[in-house]
Amino acid sequence: MKKLILIAALLASPLFAQVKEKIEVPYVAFPIKMGKGFDALQANCLMCHSFGYMINQGRQPRKFWRGKVDKMIKEFKAPIGEEAAKAVTDYLYKYYGNQKLK
Amino acid sequence: MKRRDFFKKAAVVAGAVAMGTTTAEANAGTHQPIDNRKVSDVAFPEKRPLIMYSDRPPLLETPRDVFTSALTPNDQFFVRWHMPDIPTFIDPDTFTISVNGLVERELKISLNDLKTKFEQVEVTAVLQCGGNSRSAYAPIPGGIQWGSGAMGCATWKGVRLSDILDHAGLKKDAEWIGFNGSEKAAYYETPNFVRELHLDELDDHVILAYQMNGEDLPYLNGYPLRLVLPGYYSDSWVKMLSNITVTNEYKHLFFMDVAYRVPDNKCECETPEKRAPKTKPITKMNVKSVIGYPTNGAKVNNKSAVVVRGVAFDDGHGVRDVLVSLDNGKTWDKALLDDGKQGRYAYRTFRYTFKPKKFGKMTIMTKAINKIGEEQPFAKDIPWNHGGYKYNGIDEVTVEVV
Repeated sequence: MKKLILIAALLASPLFAQVKEKIEVPYVAFPIKMGKGFDALQANCLMCHSFGYMINQGRQPRKFWRGKVDKMIKEFKAPIGEEAAKAVTDYLYKYYGNQKLK
Repeated sequence: MKRRDFFKKAAVVAGAVAMGTTTAEANAGTHQPIDNRKVSDVAFPEKRPLIMYSDRPPLLETPRDVFTSALTPNDQFFVRWHMPDIPTFIDPDTFTISVNGLVERELKISLNDLKTKFEQVEVTAVLQCGGNSRSAYAPIPGGIQWGSGAMGCATWKGVRLSDILDHAGLKKDAEWIGFNGSEKAAYYETPNFVRELHLDELDDHVILAYQMNGEDLPYLNGYPLRLVLPGYYSDSWVKMLSNITVTNEYKHLFFMDVAYRVPDNKCECETPEKRAPKTKPITKMNVKSVIGYPTNGAKVNNKSAVVVRGVAFDDGHGVRDVLVSLDNGKTWDKALLDDGKQGRYAYRTFRYTFKPKKFGKMTIMTKAINKIGEEQPFAKDIPWNHGGYKYNGIDEVTVEVV
């Protein structure tokens, strides 16, 4: 009898996921250089993506970083004001930039 | 969890950080992709520790030594998302996929119906990010500086897209099919990750897959359902597929019109100073091989047989040969290929045995050639594009003979 009930239960719910609970994506602490403009970055960038997403773009010239900030505003509709956009660009260029390229 | 908890949670380790590229490298043209990243200490859900670039969205790369096997294990399969908010729980009993737009009847199909009311099919196919190996390009193009591990091969099981569309009944003027995934942005105004494909691009090999290598799709690979588009780069393989909309008009979408595009000219190339005026979607994959063993820096023994192993693939024409060079590309010798029974969209594994005869460093190169004669160029001969897409240079690893 017990067996029958078990089979009935399985038939009633034929699907089950390998993971039956909410998955938890771990938070990762990336090494961050503290400096002027970091507050602006924290307030404007990190709600959408990690610090890793930024610094793993490679060392880039100022124009690149400004272009990325503009893309976030124009294409992804991030509400970033001009002052913050400039501060974020300056920070990324100073600490993660390629000063040898324009 | 709120973003502000980020620092409090500052638990574990640093991600792969690709800093420190010298200016010399940055100006030297295309080179071998970066291949010295360490596997992270952090294991993401259903995954072993992989090379990790970002946690939000999750970006994980498969280490090189996995590319000796024909199928990439699910827990080592690379991960690439675009948006910060991906569903962390989906109930398979209540999940449905919607089909709407220019169809005779709109559908909401449960997972159970997908698994029981349609013909079940399987295809073994390579999934590769268009930006795989991007770190080979110089000057450094924007985007994650992937090594060569933003790719994998799996056996996908599901139902044909064409069967679903037949069931819904396409209206006469149907032309475009839009695929919407469940990942969400932080702002409502941010464009969704939607792909549109023209009906002509879709054949019977295109499936909606719920299984990968005999198991449920891992969450991070798109549980419970994803689009499988053999031969195409992975930006079209929409994950956590929630909606299929049929239209007669191409909608302009960020991920179609701006991202994942290469110059629309013969060499698909441009320079940073003179960008190509016209671009096109990256669509189909070019021919490529990757060495899984030995890895860079490995020590091998003099006069002792070394078996080089790796994988090769293209967009479905099929791999004809993989050639190996032990003298920096002067002479080439054929590697042994597997029987190819996994089909034309799958990895062909190759192996090549040799005995080193000299102590010291030596470089092993592999070059795949497909059935229509396309072959991998040397890295230095691959011209630049702004997105760093479609790198397929001759692969090389340098080992030390001791």
